[in-house]
Amino acid sequence: MKSQKTQSAINTYLKETGGWVASQLEACTRCGICAEACHFYQALGNPEYAPIWKLEPLRRAYEQRFTVAGKLKLALGLEKKLADSDLEHWSKIVYEACTVCNKCAHVCPMGIQLGPLIHGVRAGMAAAGVVPADLAEATEKQKTVGSPLGVTDEMWRERIDWITDEWEAQIPVDKAGAESLVVFTSIELMKFPDNLAAVARILNRAGENWTVSSTGREVVNFGYFEADEELTRLFMYRVFKAAEELGVKRIIISECGHAYDAFRWSAPNMMKVPKGVEIVHISEYIHHLWKTGRIKLKEGAFDGETITFHDSCKIQRRGGIIKQPRELLRVLAPRSFKEMTPNKEQSLCCGGGGGVISIKEADANRYAVFEMKIEQLQAVQARAVCMVCSNCRLQFVDSVGHFNLPVKVHGLAELVSRALV
Amino acid sequence: MNWTNILNFSRGPLLHVAMIIFVAGLSFRLVRVLLLGWARDRAKNKGSKLWGVIVNYLKGLFVLPFIPWVRRTFRHNELTFIAGGLFHLSLFLVLVFGTAHILVWKSLWGFGWKGLPTPILAFFSAVGIISMIVLLINRLTHPVLKMLTKFPVWINWLVVFLPMITGFIMARHLWFRYEVIFSLHLISVSLLLIWIPFGRISHFLFYFFSKTIHGAQAGKRAVTP
Repeated sequence: MKSQKTQSAINTYLKETGGWVASQLEACTRCGICAEACHFYQALGNPEYAPIWKLEPLRRAYEQRFTVAGKLKLALGLEKKLADSDLEHWSKIVYEACTVCNKCAHVCPMGIQLGPLIHGVRAGMAAAGVVPADLAEATEKQKTVGSPLGVTDEMWRERIDWITDEWEAQIPVDKAGAESLVVFTSIELMKFPDNLAAVARILNRAGENWTVSSTGREVVNFGYFEADEELTRLFMYRVFKAAEELGVKRIIISECGHAYDAFRWSAPNMMKVPKGVEIVHISEYIHHLWKTGRIKLKEGAFDGETITFHDSCKIQRRGGIIKQPRELLRVLAPRSFKEMTPNKEQSLCCGGGGGVISIKEADANRYAVFEMKIEQLQAVQARAVCMVCSNCRLQFVDSVGHFNLPVKVHGLAELVSRALV
Repeated sequence: MNWTNILNFSRGPLLHVAMIIFVAGLSFRLVRVLLLGWARDRAKNKGSKLWGVIVNYLKGLFVLPFIPWVRRTFRHNELTFIAGGLFHLSLFLVLVFGTAHILVWKSLWGFGWKGLPTPILAFFSAVGIISMIVLLINRLTHPVLKMLTKFPVWINWLVVFLPMITGFIMARHLWFRYEVIFSLHLISVSLLLIWIPFGRISHFLFYFFSKTIHGAQAGKRAVTP
């Protein structure tokens, strides 16, 4: 049965279908190779987790409206129109068994951008309101309170004060005339305050003229996880507005993959962005500070137990910040740093990104994926793993606890701050 | 039945109509996609889009069929990679360097070129046919492919297989009289040409879109495609 909600999903699909989407949907040969690229399919073996299958709602909407073949299939009864039940079925697949990591695109012989297209499928789900309850709840919190974890303005201020005291790290708030606005995630604020303190220490040591903002204080974008365009814009707008008011030259995105993806690659195509404000990720900025001699690091500070680096889908594979964290790690642990395989563009996703970790029902999925990550870690006998995304880090910390592994999980900023000389 | 008449019909009106449908149908599809509009990408590049596109085509055309670099993906899709690669290679060699096909190209473009020796052509047409059968069995048994394969995809397989098998039989002079098998070959080719605008065999056209897009996306982000 087709209701108003299915119609709004279909409308979204038709609206987002330009030549970019259509030509890629047309290019698919149904070869199925993408399945083996998907960590959810690899870990769980459910054929429905094949990335191309995740595009079914979008494909059907497109073909039935724009192609002769699609209309013929409808007329002959070979295919049905999208119905509410289809949306509910695929909602679980695209939100709970996909981190939008886009590894599939690197494997597809045709080069179809499955990740962004699955994001497009999610957009229809968001328009229809068929989003997993946990994800919807967190999004609502970000909309009303300002943070998906429910951190209010007051809590935020208290927390910043507490971190300032506890780690003795000066954190300038709403400092007009600052050059850099650093925007953190609530995850760092609440669960990894050490990372926040580490960033503060590094920037202070480098003599950076920086600030955080009390209005643009959340970099995570749950609207982007849901693929709700309006909310995605709203959440970025809060940060851009703060940046404009403070007159900064750059926005430094802290250790969050999806946020970097949204601000760096999507924002200019979705909304008005402040002119002359560059978007950089904290890991590339720290690398820049080190490269230009503004901070100095103790060489081999973490030599000893084997440490490895986990590539995040949005920061490495889709962000291109591949060599910078490695160069830093080769200074911090020249003898103990070992690469997992596959790595860099071909890396295996953590399993918790794309909003998956916020959905309780998807826990079994992400733990199953993490078991493959464990194999990778064990293959290099890693005792510590470093990464530049708090979402990955949350998944690592939670799963390392779940599986009771003797592996320490670090953010890159945290390691760098401990090696400052 | 008079096979001479059938042959005249299939190499005359039928083939011409099929070719018109093929060209018109594909053009329609192409224009339809192009007219859906292309948004400009306003995000600042980190790397070079052109570099990404070039690397991606080089990888796709030369490396992918032979040395798939995503090792796990290859190991779990050996059949698709090897049979799929051999199928495309055979198809290319037979269509472009088959002596009889060169005559067709000559009549279309006005010039021809040297063909491959018959034993090599025979070998590759056999390889192509075997690959097709392997791919069919794979499609019938692999859980993901079973799920992805809807009715039109089976038609794709059939309309590609028929010209290959009839062409092979004709070139080897097996079982049938010349007029009979030549007619069957031409009818199946016409069927293929008519079907292409409706199905996914048209990927040879849209390949250039998705391949360019992937290269540009990777290049702009300064990652290897």
